[in-house]
Amino acid sequence: MMKGGFEVVHATLDMIQPHREPIWDFASVGFPTTSVAAAAVSSIPRQNLENRCINLERNELSDWVEQVTKKLIDDLPAQNTDTDDHHSRTLQAPADIPMLCEDSFPPSLLGDFRPRKTVTSSDFDELQWSNVNGGNDRGLSRLDEQGLSLITLLLECAVAISIDNLGEAHRMLLELTQMASPYALSCAERVVAYFAKAMSSRVINSWLGICSPLINYKTVHCAFQAFNNVSPFIKFAHFTSNQAILEAFHRRDRVHIIDLDIMQGLQWPALFHILATRMEGPPHLTMTGMGSSMELLTETGKQLSNFAKRLGMSFEFHPIAKKFGEIDITMVRLRRGETLAIHWLQHSLYDATGPDWKTMRLMEQLGPRIITLVEQDLSHGGSFLDRFVGSLHYYSTMFDSLGAYLAADDPNRHHIEHCLLYREINNILAIGGPARSGEDKMKQWRSELAARNSFVQVPMSSNSMAQAQLILNMFPPAHGYRLVQGDGTLRLGWKDTSLFTASAWTSHISR
Amino acid sequence: MDEEDFSASSSKQYYPYYPHPQSHPSATGTTTTTPTSIHHAFETSEFSTFSPARDLTFDFSGKWATDILLETATAIADRNSGRFQQLMWMLNELSSPYGDTDQKLGSYFLQALFNRMTDSGERCYRTLASVSEKTCSFETTRKMVLKFQEVSPWTTFGHVACNGAIMEAFEGESKLHIIDISSTYCTQWPTLLESLATRTDETPHLKLTTIVATKNGGVPGSSTSGTAAGSLASVQDIMKEIGNRMEKFARLMGVPFKFNVIHHGGDLCELDLSKLDIKEDEALAINCVGTLHSIRAVDNRRDMMISNFKKLQPRIITVVEEEADLDVGVDGMEFVKGFQECLRWFRVYFEALDESFARTSNERLMLERAAGRAI
Repeated sequence: MMKGGFEVVHATLDMIQPHREPIWDFASVGFPTTSVAAAAVSSIPRQNLENRCINLERNELSDWVEQVTKKLIDDLPAQNTDTDDHHSRTLQAPADIPMLCEDSFPPSLLGDFRPRKTVTSSDFDELQWSNVNGGNDRGLSRLDEQGLSLITLLLECAVAISIDNLGEAHRMLLELTQMASPYALSCAERVVAYFAKAMSSRVINSWLGICSPLINYKTVHCAFQAFNNVSPFIKFAHFTSNQAILEAFHRRDRVHIIDLDIMQGLQWPALFHILATRMEGPPHLTMTGMGSSMELLTETGKQLSNFAKRLGMSFEFHPIAKKFGEIDITMVRLRRGETLAIHWLQHSLYDATGPDWKTMRLMEQLGPRIITLVEQDLSHGGSFLDRFVGSLHYYSTMFDSLGAYLAADDPNRHHIEHCLLYREINNILAIGGPARSGEDKMKQWRSELAARNSFVQVPMSSNSMAQAQLILNMFPPAHGYRLVQGDGTLRLGWKDTSLFTASAWTSHISR
Repeated sequence: MDEEDFSASSSKQYYPYYPHPQSHPSATGTTTTTPTSIHHAFETSEFSTFSPARDLTFDFSGKWATDILLETATAIADRNSGRFQQLMWMLNELSSPYGDTDQKLGSYFLQALFNRMTDSGERCYRTLASVSEKTCSFETTRKMVLKFQEVSPWTTFGHVACNGAIMEAFEGESKLHIIDISSTYCTQWPTLLESLATRTDETPHLKLTTIVATKNGGVPGSSTSGTAAGSLASVQDIMKEIGNRMEKFARLMGVPFKFNVIHHGGDLCELDLSKLDIKEDEALAINCVGTLHSIRAVDNRRDMMISNFKKLQPRIITVVEEEADLDVGVDGMEFVKGFQECLRWFRVYFEALDESFARTSNERLMLERAAGRAI
C-alpha cells in the first residue's frame, strides 16, 4: 500500500512545491486568515452551504438523529447540571426556535461548519433511508418506521444508561440486538447494531467494574489501511499535514518529526519523497515514532528506513513504545539545531497519548516549529449522554459516507465498519469518558492551543487546500464530501457534517 | 459533569448477588493507560489482584474463545470470582457477534453466562424469543431455512438419510402415513414425494401429519402469552401456506396426498396420539428432526414419548438430532463438562455457518442469533 499510494501522490505533490516564501512566515503568523480566506473564497463558501442544506441533498440519517435526539434531550429530567451549561442551554431551547441542533450540541462538535437550518415536518417526510446508489423506493416507508423505532429505542437505552438504570438498559438492548443487523441495507440499522453492541459491552463492564480496553492492534491497523483505501479522510489528514510540515521545513537542513501515533507510518513516504527531491536538497531527517508496541514500531521504522535509503535521504528512526503524555522531555532525542515538527492525527480507537494536560505541557517544552493537528469533530469529554449523542451523529455520517460508495454486502466495508468504526464507538461509549478514566479530556485541542500563549496558529496554506482537493477528486462520490477552509483550518466532512479538521500551530520558542 | 460514575453499588441493586472482589481495581478509576505490550500486538492493563502471565501469552490466531470460555466455566465451578471477573472482562473486550467464529462464540456465550450469573436467564430468553418472533416474518424465516439448505448440507443430510430409510420401510405398501415432528418446514418431503412418484409399482397414497409445537417452552403463566397467541395465528398461516404448496406439488408429481397439521402447545410428550387420525390399514412412519431434544430428560418424559410411539406400532422411527449432550447440569464439574460439550457443538455449528454463507449474510445472522438464544 505504501508504495502504491506514493505513486499517485508523487504526481500531485510535484505541482505544488512552494516556490515562494511560505505564507506563514513567522512574523505574519498572528494574522487572522484574511489573505488565506481570500484565496479560499473560490472554494465552497459558507453561504452556499446554508442554501444547499435546504434541498434534498442531505445527510438523511443524521437529520433523523438530530431530530430525535433534540426531542429526547429536551425531555430529559433536569439532572446532572453541575458544570454542564450545555444542558441548561438545551432545556431552554424552545420548540419555536428554528435553529435545530445547533444548541443541542456542544459547539465543538459541529463548529461553524454546521449551518443553521429549519426543519419542518415536510422536510421530515422527504427524508429517505435507503442510500445505495441513490436509493430505491420500494419498502421505503417500512424502512422508515423500522429505522425510526430502532433509533428511538437506542436513545431510550442511552438515557437509561446515563441514569445508571442498567437493568432497563439491558432489557432494551436484548431487543435491539435481535432487531438490528450490521449487514442491513439501511445505514441507520447498521449504526444501531454497532451502538447497541457497544452499549451491551458497557453494561457488562459496568457490572464487572472494569473498563480497560483490550486491543488487537494488528487488526486495527489493517482496518485502518482498508479505510484509507476507500475513504479520503485519512489521506486528507496526511497530505494537508505533510504540506504544512514541508512549508515549515523550508530551507532547514536538520529536521525532526515526532509522530504521536505512527501506526504503520502510511503518511510519511510521500513526505520523504518530496523532501528528498526538493530544490535545496534533502535534509537530515530524524523521526520519533510513538505507538503501543515496540514490535510494531520497529517494523514501521524498518520500512521507513528502507524507503528513505532508496531515496538517498539520511534518516534516523527512534521508536518510543509509550504515550506522549507519559514521557518526559529527556526521552526525546532532539538535537540542537534540529527543526521540530510534531504531528498528531487524532482518532478514537484507543487512548494514544495519555493525560491531556501532560501532552500539552510536553509540547510547550519542546517548542516545535510546527504542530500539525488533525482532529475528529467529536468530543471525548462530557457526560455519557453527550458523548452518545455526539458520536451517534458523527458515526451516522461516517456510515452514510461509506454506504454511498460501497455495497451493503461488501465484505471490505463490513471489515472497516466492524474493526475500525465499531472499535471507536466502543471506545467512546464503553471505555472512555472522564468518569471512568479519571481524567479531564480537553474538548477541542485547537481551542486549547489557541488559548495558550505559547502557541500561535499557522493558517493552512492554499497549497494544502489544493492538496485536499486533489485527494477528493480521487474518490468517486466526490459530490458527497465537503471541503471547507476557514479560521485557518481545513475541514473535510460528508454532506453537512464536518468530520475532520486539520490545523497547524507554531510555538513561540521554536527555533 | 461526570454524573455517570458507574457506581458498583447501583449495579449491585440490579444484580444483587454479584460478588465483587475485595480489591476493586476500578474503584480508583482504572484508566485506559497500559504498559507496553510484551511480544504480541495485544495489550492488557494491570490487574494487581489477578494472577497472571498465562493470559498475556495467548494470541489471536488460535481458538482463543474455547480456551477463555473453558477457563471461565472452571472459574464458575470453582467459585473463583476474581478469575471469573478477569475472564469475563477479556471476553467482553474481545468478542463480537459480527466478527469471526471465535468472536461470535465469545459473544453469545458471554451473554449467556452473564444472564446465568445474574439469574436473568429465563426472562432474557423469553424476551429474545418474543422479539425475534416479532421481527421475523414467515417470509424471512422460510427464506433463511431455504438459504441454509442451499448453502450447506447441514439439514438436508438428515433429510436424505431419513427419506431413504422411510422409503425402505415402506417398500410395497400402498397406504402410507407419516407423522412428522420437525423444525424444518416440511422441506424434507418434496424429495420423498418425488421418490414415491418414481417408484416402480403403483404410486401409494401418502398422508402427512405434521405436528408443530408452539413456542411456549413450557413456561407457565408467562407474560408472553399474548405473544404466544399472536404467534399461533401466524404459525397457522404459515403451515396452511406450506400445506397448499405441498398439495400442489403432490398433484404435480401425481401422488395422492393428504396433508394435516396439528398445533401442539406445551411439551411434546403430552401429545395426544389419538388425535392423529391413524387408520388401521396405514403403514406408519414417525419422523423427528431436531425436535426431540426439547423434551427434557426428567420425569421419564422421554420414556413416555418413546412408549407412546411404540403404541402406534410404526414401521420405522427416524430421528435426527444434534450429536451432543447439551445438559449443563446445575453446578460444579457437571457444569463444566456440560459447558464443554455445549461449546464444542456450537463451535462446529458456527464454523459450518461461517464456511457456508457469505461474510455479510443476514440469513446467517438469523441462524446465529437462534443459536445464541439456544446457548
